[in-house]
Amino acid sequence: MKFNSFLYSLRQGLKNILRNKFYSLASLATMVVCIFMFGIFTAIVVNVNHVVREAEKGVAVVAYFDEGVTDDQIAKIGDFIRSREEVENVTFVSAEEAWQEFMPIYFGTEDPDMAEDLAQDFAKDNPLANSANYQIYLKDVSKQDQLVKDLSQVEGIREVSSNNTVADTLTNFNSLLGYLSIGIIVLLFAVAVFLISNTVAVGIAVRKEEIGIMKLIGATDFFIRAPFIIEGVVIGLIGSGVPLIILYVLYQRMQTFVSDKFGMLTGILSFIPAGEIFRYLVPVSLCIGVGIGFLGSMLTIRKHLKV
Amino acid sequence: MIHMDNVSKAYSTGNPAVNEINLHIEKGEFVFIIGPSGAGKTTLFKLLLKELEPTSGTITVAGQELNHMKRRQIPKFRRNIGVVFQDFRLLKDRNIYENIAFAQRVVETSPRRIRREVPQALSGVGLAERYKAFPNELSGGEQQRVALARALVNKPQLIMADEPTGNLDNQNAWEIMKMLEEINEKGTTVLVVTHNREIVDAMKKRVITLEEGRIVSDEKEGGYTDEV
Repeated sequence: MKFNSFLYSLRQGLKNILRNKFYSLASLATMVVCIFMFGIFTAIVVNVNHVVREAEKGVAVVAYFDEGVTDDQIAKIGDFIRSREEVENVTFVSAEEAWQEFMPIYFGTEDPDMAEDLAQDFAKDNPLANSANYQIYLKDVSKQDQLVKDLSQVEGIREVSSNNTVADTLTNFNSLLGYLSIGIIVLLFAVAVFLISNTVAVGIAVRKEEIGIMKLIGATDFFIRAPFIIEGVVIGLIGSGVPLIILYVLYQRMQTFVSDKFGMLTGILSFIPAGEIFRYLVPVSLCIGVGIGFLGSMLTIRKHLKV
Repeated sequence: MIHMDNVSKAYSTGNPAVNEINLHIEKGEFVFIIGPSGAGKTTLFKLLLKELEPTSGTITVAGQELNHMKRRQIPKFRRNIGVVFQDFRLLKDRNIYENIAFAQRVVETSPRRIRREVPQALSGVGLAERYKAFPNELSGGEQQRVALARALVNKPQLIMADEPTGNLDNQNAWEIMKMLEEINEKGTTVLVVTHNREIVDAMKKRVITLEEGRIVSDEKEGGYTDEV
């Protein structure tokens, strides 16, 4: 197709949109809602994921050693744990450190000096002599079960303790949210395809005579179809561009709002910067918009425009 | 230019609309096809444009055999033919300049050529001044002249007109026929399907008469016979 013909098809496509304003607006509105929801859900899921990641940093798996294990063996176990992909970092806690940490809790006082006085009796005999351990922090909490299982089989490890509930709850919540949003979005996209294909069908009905004349004059199928495809694609493009702009503005506003009003929560509720989310959200949404527009008009053209 | 050999076209019910027709029209001829309603004129017209497929027989138009033509070759083939209809078939939402330019856009003519050739085509049918008018602002005769200009603008080898004077008064009908005659004198083959007895009788051209799907007469300088 020549460039001039492309321009002509583009003009005709835009004219089609303006000619059936009602249908075009309905498709456009659905498209806007679709992409808007898509954007909101993406932002929520990505941010919750981010919060989960942050929370995961505080969730540790603790591995305790067998009695009488050598320093050499401990070092080997440490290397093994570090070599695993899901591990973020590993800290060695010696029996003395464990006792120091536990002492204040055990004696029910916050004052370490007082605790130390009370602990005099234990000076020679550390009650936690066997509690040297590795504290393991994970990159991805969902991999925790596997790690615990593997570690229990390593020689020299007596026991592996982990706190599953926090990790599981967070992961479950996030995947539930993910599934829910996918369901709603798929439904909305189906509605959008349906509406766009109806809009194009109205356009074809209005221009039936013109299409008949075009065929007799010797227009190619492609030339006849192009304006209708452009109509769908333009609706898809506008319908995804508008909500993206709205989302961007909203996201930034919300970020400043939250950090202004709930400043003390910033440690827990840290948002991913808008730029980082929109770097992916913009191209994906535009592709979805164009894809839905193209699909909607193609479906109708195949059905109603047997050229 | 047109060769039909043993061509029949039957619809699912009733007698065939076109029955064993043999028709040969050479380059540069001017031919009338006449006959009563239901004689098969419209079916013949559609067969020649490959809007319909024949049930049997072979058709060749402008050097191209239609039977074996692939679907995607049809547009290129139709560009050799200018078509004029009884009801003009102009695009009512565009002015007459755009109507003619439309025919050129469809075949991907460059904008420069469109700007040059559309005014030429309009002055050829005496409507150069009215290029901004919309079809509903024109008389029937003027609308048919626009339709003729549109048929001619891509310089086809063959003009096919289906009842071009059917909706026109006598004076306008004659103007259109004179234009078709002029076009024919410049070398374009012209095929006119018509009911207009007066014009056919006066113009002394080749006349093919159809009846019940068959050719019943083919005269070099014919006219309406009393029986028709």
